[in-house]
Amino acid sequence: MMAPRIRANRYSVMTLEWPKDSEPLEQWLKEQCDKAPALMQEIAIVLKPSLEHESEEIQAAIDSLDQLGIGLIGLTGDSSHRALADEMGLAWLSPNNVTVEPQSEKERDVNQPRETALVVEGPIRSGVQVYAKDRDLIVIGQVSEGAEIMADGHVHVYGRCRGRVAAGVSGQTNAEIFCLTFEPELVSLAGTYCGSDQIPENLWSARVRVGLDENSQKLTFGLMG
Amino acid sequence: MATVVTVTSGKGGVGKTTSSAAIAAGLAQAGHRTVVIDFDVGLRNLDLIMGVERRVVFDFVNVISGEATLNQALIQDKRLENLSILAASQTKDKDALTEEGVGQVLEQLAEMGFEYIVCDSPAGIERGATMALHFADHAVIVTNPEVSSVRDSDRILGILQSKSKRAKEGGKVHEHLLITRYDPARVDNGEMLSKEDVCDILAVKLIGVIPESKAVLKASNTGVPVILDDDADAGLAYGDAVARFLGEDRPMRFVTPKKQGLFSRILGGGD
Ligand SMILES: Nc1ncnc2c1ncn2[C@@H]1O[C@H](COP(=O)(O)OP(=O)(O)O)[C@@H](O)[C@H]1O
Ligand SMILES: [Mg+2]
Repeated sequence: MMAPRIRANRYSVMTLEWPKDSEPLEQWLKEQCDKAPALMQEIAIVLKPSLEHESEEIQAAIDSLDQLGIGLIGLTGDSSHRALADEMGLAWLSPNNVTVEPQSEKERDVNQPRETALVVEGPIRSGVQVYAKDRDLIVIGQVSEGAEIMADGHVHVYGRCRGRVAAGVSGQTNAEIFCLTFEPELVSLAGTYCGSDQIPENLWSARVRVGLDENSQKLTFGLMG
Repeated sequence: MATVVTVTSGKGGVGKTTSSAAIAAGLAQAGHRTVVIDFDVGLRNLDLIMGVERRVVFDFVNVISGEATLNQALIQDKRLENLSILAASQTKDKDALTEEGVGQVLEQLAEMGFEYIVCDSPAGIERGATMALHFADHAVIVTNPEVSSVRDSDRILGILQSKSKRAKEGGKVHEHLLITRYDPARVDNGEMLSKEDVCDILAVKLIGVIPESKAVLKASNTGVPVILDDDADAGLAYGDAVARFLGEDRPMRFVTPKKQGLFSRILGGGD
């Protein structure tokens, strides 16, 4: 018989940062849901209100998330909100407990050179996840719709890419994505993402390179020769 | 060494059982000693399609649980001497298919001299399906030309290449794509995916395209695998698919819409 066990697994959980002086949250969330409905239904969110938010405001925000069907798993931020999380049956994610990969003795610069790339042969099928920790990922062959490929470094797909692709998943803002045939469901760089509905039409099925503009925090798309 | 060929799809009702019966009969016709096993515990319809439902005394689960010997449970086909059938139980619960038990039965079949063991997988990804996948050397992925069926097949291929015994030992299961219920006229109208679309999404070698055909229903009602019907397009297409599986090169047939000739129009057309 198998014993139960606790394991460290990676899930993509996003933090919703909510400054006090921002536009109304409900309105903003609705816009996001309109832009990328499938994505917003699937992500797991941790809400990070600011110190100045009152409990009632936070409660209203939680209600809006619920109404929009966005999966909220907990609260984070200033410890003064912890009691509210307990009260509402939400998890409290201590900001001190964020894992920064890799957990080496001395913290590594996230933009430092990495190990050689992880090379995998496609097709990467629907439902399959591949993660290249601390390095680049090279996929030779196709990535099916419904598959997820991720790397702390760059991601290269030498084939048709129809799945979800994430590079720089531990925050490396200089990571890029390169695809021979670009038809992804979702692309994400260092946590900035966009769904297929936001990808410029002329890039669909083309050879594409995706980067992150650090100033605007927007994804940049370019054709490769 | 016996070769285990698992017929699978993910989705139900796409033609796995029809294809398992046809492929097993085709391999036997080609001179290979073949046994076909129904992994669909609880539903059991391979025996109907093979026309042996009234000869089932013991089944796969009886053998695994030691209530019967393999010799008692194997049903010899009356038409093809190289072909035997191992039926599924209609009543027993799915958990009866243990990895150890299934493995032992497959080993015994190999010792008895069977060259091919064809496994008819149930739909879904529960026990019966994962057991049938686990021991596969070859997988025939049965897909209908529609998006949901193709997507499910993709998922099954992912499971196959991570969970099967071969994959766990560092090898690879050989994949073959079989498109069934193909209606060229509806493909032309854009109501169905074309075979090119399906191949493009799945990136697996195509071994056959079986047309939508009334002969399939007729065959299952009479308990004769459709591959034995030389007058049926579906039967001929299955024949081609088995030949390609065995390495032969054959052109695809029945993949363009039938021309409605003057005669058939006057006589009312039809298959
Ligand atoms: N090529 C075909 N043309 C017409 N009907 C078909 C064809 N293949 C399968 N069918 C029908 O589809 C149904 C499901 O087939 P079956 O082989 O039992 O699928 P599965 O085992 O995948 O559930 C049956 O009624 C069968 O007669
Ligand atoms: Mg079946």
